[in-house]
Amino acid sequence: MNAIDIRGLILVDSLPSGRDGLLARTPFAMVDVAGMSPLERIAQTMRRHGVSPMAIVVEDDSAYRRRRPIPPGMAFRAASPDRYWRLAEGTFNDLAQNGTELVLVVRLGPYAEIDFEKLVQFHLAGPRRVTQVVCGGRPLEIFCLSASRRNDAASLFRSQLGQCRSQLESYEHDGYFNPLAGPGDLRQFAIDVLTLNTETQPAGTEVRPGVWVGSEASIEKGSRILAPAFIGASARIGCGSLITRCSTIERHAHVDCGTVVENSTVLPYSYVGAGLDIAHSVVRIGHIASLRRGVTVKVSDQKLLGRVSSTGARYLWKAAVSLPARIWNGIFRNGSAPPPPLEDALLRPSSALGVSACDTKVAGEFASDLMAVRRYGDQ
Amino acid sequence: MGTNSRPVVVKRVPERMNARAARDFLHDVEPFLSIDRPQLVFDLSEVLQLDAAGVEVLLRCMSEAHKRDGDVKLASPSQQAAVVLELTRTERLFEIYETSVDAVRSFSGFLPNAMRQQLLHKRPRTPAAA
Repeated sequence: MNAIDIRGLILVDSLPSGRDGLLARTPFAMVDVAGMSPLERIAQTMRRHGVSPMAIVVEDDSAYRRRRPIPPGMAFRAASPDRYWRLAEGTFNDLAQNGTELVLVVRLGPYAEIDFEKLVQFHLAGPRRVTQVVCGGRPLEIFCLSASRRNDAASLFRSQLGQCRSQLESYEHDGYFNPLAGPGDLRQFAIDVLTLNTETQPAGTEVRPGVWVGSEASIEKGSRILAPAFIGASARIGCGSLITRCSTIERHAHVDCGTVVENSTVLPYSYVGAGLDIAHSVVRIGHIASLRRGVTVKVSDQKLLGRVSSTGARYLWKAAVSLPARIWNGIFRNGSAPPPPLEDALLRPSSALGVSACDTKVAGEFASDLMAVRRYGDQ
Repeated sequence: MGTNSRPVVVKRVPERMNARAARDFLHDVEPFLSIDRPQLVFDLSEVLQLDAAGVEVLLRCMSEAHKRDGDVKLASPSQQAAVVLELTRTERLFEIYETSVDAVRSFSGFLPNAMRQQLLHKRPRTPAAA
């Protein structure tokens, strides 16, 4: 396979997978799952098959660059949405000019574990101009192109991988596939990685069967980690907490004391408060996607879900700043006015709602007998 | 048999139940909690933000109601409220109904179903119209 020069071109755009509100514009392909993002896993698979280096085009790579060094052999190129496909085409042309013979184009979104060696053999056996990977009759945005076919590549990129001027040959993929289209797919991917249904494995040390722990992770005494589970690098698990049923706590996340995390994913740098019950969910900083309810909600209270405090000094600073307010509240708020009598309370406009207790919308919904009971009750 | 003659107070919970709103809310409902055997329904349909302080107030209301042999029930929780209640393990402490009407009616049906069935069977049947 090394006899011919094969390069990989991985395209990651932020639009298709980040629309549900959980991740804003961050694509799922760049979100850690059991220690590594799907992007890194694809790159790792390519390297294993002798395809290197990779040119990766993303719409916004700032989130990736900020927290992680770029692995050797990976070249990042970022583009704004209007220049995204032009840059992809330009990158392809650069690779072709540098003597590359074959280019593997992979667009994430969906994650598929392709045997790139077999794909290349299939492509060369034709010989074919452009080969597209198909999974169960559904075409995937994974292509093998001869670098000399620039016009084919141009038509492919200009149609956003929708069509090609040459006939596309189909290569049937029968391995692992995950559409990675929502939090449910992200969760399923974590389960598949932890239960070893994928070729790729959790990025950590297997401290006991089915439990992987990243470097510098802190697991306090009294906490229980039930297999299969993953604790990412520098993550913190508080005392008395329980991590179970294929849960993954990603790097730098903090699960506070007494919290139960069941069949859930806690994404990097997320803080989960003490004594909570996280079940069938994906948690990001200040957000939770409940898979049972099919909704993503924002949780503003930092005591429940938030961002991990970066340093101890910052925590002390915050405590010092809030101290005068606490003293003030302690002195003056204790002596609050006694509650008004019941008759007044019924007619008085509520300070929280702005209407009186007797004037609610739901009052009209009650059956007449219920209203009578209320009006002539024994009170 | 299943008729309850005491008043049921339905209270709408504000959109944003943060620390300040929770304090105001508690102040609003305190008079209703201080009566004998209070019966309250909190309508959570408009809640967009429910903080730990808000959950604490709901629990406090329930505790106060129980002290006076009453009860607090929740009705039509929004998705936001439902997720936070689930997150904080408080959804199992409250009776939660789909609508405020259902919640109010539940106060009058205090007899266990099995006992109600027995009473229905004992009641003499009215002759069917010819």
